[in-house]
Amino acid sequence: MTSPSSPEAPWPVRTVARKVAEWIGRLGEVWVEGQVAQLSRRGSAATVFLTLRDPAADLSVPVTCHRDVADRPGLELTEGARVVVRARPDYYVARGSFSLRATEIRAVGLGELLARIERIRRLLAAEGLFDAVRKRPLPFAPAVVGVITGRDSAAERDVLVTARRRWPAVRFAVHNCAVQGPTAAESVIAGLQRLDADPTVEVIVIARGGGSVEDLLPFSDEGLVRAIAASRTPVVTAVGHETDTTLVDHVADVRAATPTDAAHRVVPEIGEQRRLVDGLRARARHLLAGRLEQQERWLDSVRSRPVLADPTRLLAGRADDVTALRTRATRTVTHRVEVAERDLEHARARVTALSPAATLQRGYAVVQRADGALVRDPAEVGDDERLLVRVAGGRLPVRVDRPTTGEDAQP
Amino acid sequence: MSTPDPAAEPTQTYEQAREELADVVRRLEAGGLTLEESLGLWERGEQLAELCQHWLDRARERLAAAAPTDT
Repeated sequence: MTSPSSPEAPWPVRTVARKVAEWIGRLGEVWVEGQVAQLSRRGSAATVFLTLRDPAADLSVPVTCHRDVADRPGLELTEGARVVVRARPDYYVARGSFSLRATEIRAVGLGELLARIERIRRLLAAEGLFDAVRKRPLPFAPAVVGVITGRDSAAERDVLVTARRRWPAVRFAVHNCAVQGPTAAESVIAGLQRLDADPTVEVIVIARGGGSVEDLLPFSDEGLVRAIAASRTPVVTAVGHETDTTLVDHVADVRAATPTDAAHRVVPEIGEQRRLVDGLRARARHLLAGRLEQQERWLDSVRSRPVLADPTRLLAGRADDVTALRTRATRTVTHRVEVAERDLEHARARVTALSPAATLQRGYAVVQRADGALVRDPAEVGDDERLLVRVAGGRLPVRVDRPTTGEDAQP
Repeated sequence: MSTPDPAAEPTQTYEQAREELADVVRRLEAGGLTLEESLGLWERGEQLAELCQHWLDRARERLAAAAPTDT
């Protein structure tokens, strides 16, 4: 073995490199799981370089392998793929660099991927992140729609074109980002946070076309799901085809089947809205006009009622009353006068009948003393007394000339 | 009975005027009033009918003013 190093007796580089290589070489084989972050094949070189990243922590290690290992049939090694690698830590003395020397690379199976997604789904569901009460209603006719999609993607075009056609006044805040591969989740999270921080953005659409389960993996990323849950702006997702379900679909406020469907959900159709408003307006006007006509008819009918339309009727009855009373009064008074006249004639007839004038007319006479007293007995008068004889023709003064005998004493 | 002032803005709503008018007509039709009372009621009825007409005319005008111009 070599003697310990000192300032006076330093080791040459080769000695150090050899010692580190020996020590690392004793570590032996390990199985390691990670995500392929970078993959480089240099022409026809026998060695393939790749970077294996830990998806849950910000660190990675370089991996080298023989091209036969990387190109094994059925592996289809691509960036972003989840792999399990059998490797031996290796120190390359010529450059002093550390790497894992892979002897076997296995893709993480589809079943395993789905099982992992399912575990995350259960975890997040238990936390209540997918609860219906968390879903926020989308704004009606938002002025600005945030859109997170791949650059120049069909998804982007579908969202923008469809939304503009339905609601021409809509404006977009587009954030283009990676939608697959190892950086996709982070990139989408960054876009979401940027758009969420913009107060003019009223709703955010995350859209991506269809792809394999592996392609859509970033959209089941736990960090992205949590970011959507934390967003204050409502989020609509349209990821993959209708049959693909990613975890972002569970947490989104609205899950659209496709990017075109997402555009339908976030903006109303202008023609439909116009017709709706026109229809309501016409109904309101019709109702009001109907009510007004009904009231006008009522008023007309009241005004044409005899008591209001013909006020002279108020007087008519009363005038008749007055005439009738007047007639009755006249008749009554006339009757009374006639009765009085008849009474008077009767009285006059009776007076005439009782008068002595008629008796005098028949030749009788009335003898009165000077004081007017009627003479009924010759003995009442004295000799030579002056008396007054009244006959029908008038008065005759006489003097009593009585003979001595009284043979005429009886009348 | 207040004297009608056509210049003043009516203080009664249409519904109030309408209800009172209906009452006036009912009392007039029921009869049993003095001449002076029935004349007074009739005058009030005319006043109320004018007021109702005024409200309805104004409603018509407002409806016409709000008419959509593009249809």
